[in-house]
Order: sequence, then C-alpha cells, then structure tokens
Amino acid sequence: MQFEKKRASTKEEIPTASMPDIIFMLLLFFMVTTTMREVEVLVDYKLPDAEALEKIENKRLVSYIWIGKGSRVQINDSIVQVDDVQPIMYAKREALPNVIVSLRVDVGADMGLVTDIQQELRKAYCLRINYSANIKI
Amino acid sequence: MLRKKKSHEATIPTSSMADIAFLLLIFFLVATIIDVDTGIGLTLPEYIPPDEIEEVKVDPDRMAAILINESGEVLLDGKPISLFQIKNTLKPRIISKIDLPSNKKLIVSLKTDRKTVYNAYIQALDQIKMAYFEVRDEYSNSRFGVKFKDVNEEAQKTVKDAIPIIISLAEPEAVK
Repeated sequence: MQFEKKRASTKEEIPTASMPDIIFMLLLFFMVTTTMREVEVLVDYKLPDAEALEKIENKRLVSYIWIGKGSRVQINDSIVQVDDVQPIMYAKREALPNVIVSLRVDVGADMGLVTDIQQELRKAYCLRINYSANIKI
Repeated sequence: MLRKKKSHEATIPTSSMADIAFLLLIFFLVATIIDVDTGIGLTLPEYIPPDEIEEVKVDPDRMAAILINESGEVLLDGKPISLFQIKNTLKPRIISKIDLPSNKKLIVSLKTDRKTVYNAYIQALDQIKMAYFEVRDEYSNSRFGVKFKDVNEEAQKTVKDAIPIIISLAEPEAVK
C-alpha cells in the first residue's frame, strides 16, 4: 500500500517582485545618510591616539586644516603657506561664524608650526578648534 | 481576409532589476565614508597684539604649569614627572578646588618648545582632559548618582561651574 503524501495546494514560492523596491529603499537610505569624500588629501599624516575624545556633532561647521609630514599645510584642496592661513580662515569664518577648525596633524609634526597656525587662527578669529585624534584602544 | 496579428505581450524583464539595484547599493557602500570626527576640543584665546598684552598676576597656588621640552620631558611646577603621571598629579589639585569660588579654580598652563613633537603635546593635553573628565564624573556621581554625561542639563551646568576646564596655552615666545 502506498501512502500518498499530502501536499498543500498553495504555491511554494517566495514572492520576489518587491525585492527591487526593498533594495532601492536601502540604497536611498545610504545615499541620503552618507557624505562623499569632498577633498583630496595631499599631505601624508598619521593622527595621534588619545582617550579624552569628543565628537563633533555638526559636520557642517567643520573646516579642516591638514599638517602633514615635511611641514606641509593643506587647506581646502591646496597646499598653503602659513601666511596664507589667516585670510583663508577669515573668509571661512565670515561665511560660517561658528566654524570649528579641525586640525589633522601628523604625530611627528613640530609644535612650532602648530603654534604658528594657531596664532594665525587666533588672528582670523577662528577660536574653536579640535585636535583630531583616534581612539586609543 | 486580413488576419489579425498575434499580439505579443510587451513586458520589460524585471528579474535583473534587483541585481542592478544591488550593484548600485554596493557602490554606495564602498564609496562612502562613515567616519565620525573625534578629537580633543579646545577654545583658543582671542588674539591680542603684543603691545596690548596686560600681565595679570595669578596666585601661584591656582596655576599648574606644564612644560614639555623637545625631547618630550615634562616639568610640572618645576618638578620633572613622566607624561603619564600628569593625570594623577592634577586630579587631587582639581578636587581640592571644587568648593572654591570660580576665580580661584585651577588653571592648567601648557607650554611647549618649538621643537616638541606634536604627539607629546596631544598626550599631555589628553592627560589634562582625562583628569578633568574623571573629576567631573566622580563629582556628578557623588551628587547626582550618575556619570557626567548622563545627568540632565541643569545638573551638568552645576558640575561645569564647580569644575570648569581652564587650559591656558602659553603665549608663544619670539624666536631668538
């Protein structure tokens, strides 16, 4: 005697018609939440490690200054001289009064250069700064 | 007699749509950076031209002067200490000034040489900040029962008033 297997009469397929919509939704989420890399970094730098870190909540306010190996200073897309820092940063501050300057300085840089740039920032009235650092593990 | 043309069903194949969307998704996943800017925040003092600088005498008891020389050696109030002792040396001094009025709080002054390596400076600044953060945490723990970052705004203000972070970057000296 043979037993006949009972089969459900419903189809056994997972509906895949809505898959593209789901993927598109994911895609849109990523497109909206992420920011593209805006500038090309021309200096070589390695950030220091620190523990007492703060997050910068508002990314729109941030303006970067890179100080890399060989005392190269970069603002926006170009390498600049220390004397140029003040006018550039002053213009930035006029456009964005509460700008936060994030200093991305190489671990091996001389404090002399950093101090010079800080003096220029003080003259340009960009007083909120942030020394960029990685979390020490 | 005209024969009616057989009507083809006109459909766009949509089975590959998911794959295309996936490719786009992967592109965005790879091309974007999700990096949170972290760092040590600081507010610089206003620039005052050298001839307008007024010297203000500060009670030496309020000052904690940290000097870092070009080989990374640290001098705190004239005594040589290691870079990693700064935090534990400063903490009791910050705690001892919690109950004092705001014009008697500790001022930490940080001075470096022109040839000091940036890393040493950041490590020292980190130690100072850590000392303050830990004292703030302990203080808010004893008063409100939770850590500093978890208390409400009003309580945060009381803690900030009791333990203000005053870090003074010494005015750079002219190069001789």
